[in-house]
Amino acid sequence: MKDLITNIAKALVDKPEEVVVTVIEGEQTSVIELKVAKEDLGKIIGKQGRTAQSIRTILNAASKKMHKRFVLELIE
Amino acid sequence: MSSIEIEAKTTEEAIKKACEHFHLTEGALDIEVLESSSTGIFGLVGNRKAKIRVTVKEDSAIAVAQETLRKIISLMSIDTKISAVRKGDDIVLNIEGNNTGILIGHKGRTLEALEFIVNKAVNRATETKVRVIVDTENYRKRKEESLKGLALKMGEQAKRTKKTVTIDSVNPHDRRIIHLALKGDSQIQTKSDGEGLFKKVHIIPNRKKTNKEESG
Repeated sequence: MKDLITNIAKALVDKPEEVVVTVIEGEQTSVIELKVAKEDLGKIIGKQGRTAQSIRTILNAASKKMHKRFVLELIE
Repeated sequence: MSSIEIEAKTTEEAIKKACEHFHLTEGALDIEVLESSSTGIFGLVGNRKAKIRVTVKEDSAIAVAQETLRKIISLMSIDTKISAVRKGDDIVLNIEGNNTGILIGHKGRTLEALEFIVNKAVNRATETKVRVIVDTENYRKRKEESLKGLALKMGEQAKRTKKTVTIDSVNPHDRRIIHLALKGDSQIQTKSDGEGLFKKVHIIPNRKKTNKEESG
């Protein structure tokens, strides 16, 4: 799951080397924290939050198979 | 087309850096070696770094699109094959496999999300303006058919009841299908209403035409 978010994020930003993903494991829900370069934050969020929304949708689909919930947090 | 120069200890390392920079595989890049590396005598004197110039290939868009989608789906631990074809200016990616229901999602939302992300990635990586369409099991075609059916049904209802019928929150692509499906009918007109991406579609029966077969 970490690789999935890392991969998507790196494909969207200008500074892929500054993409940092950390997973905080929980019993039922895990939180995935995504940190990108300041200039790239807008690219991850997108117009009207559409990009972030899309990433979350993909994450939800992926977590369906794992019978676990994942939440995406963008860290500023 | 973007082009950059990269220096590294060896040519291989420079190519690897280039791939990371563009987030592409080597196949999608044109690589020109400007200076190859040399270790000099005993690796001490006359060390020279390798220098390459890297340009993103013209028709890399299709390769990038395919690779981006393949990677995302495989990281979702779903086993599929992805075929890519060019249709005019568009690139159509078709996902072939068993478990694609999970990739379509509720009301096709996951498929839309995948398409959106791949579009962004491709247009960023290649600095072109192409549209990527992601499809699976003919889902797009089936959806279009069912939308047309819905539009016609709602159109009939509007005519019968002489009242405006509203279809809620429709995305731009689907709105277009509804408008087009009802365009030929002179007894009704269609209008979009609302803000943002998802708007309502009103199907309005024309007042002036007196329809004789009135029923309730």
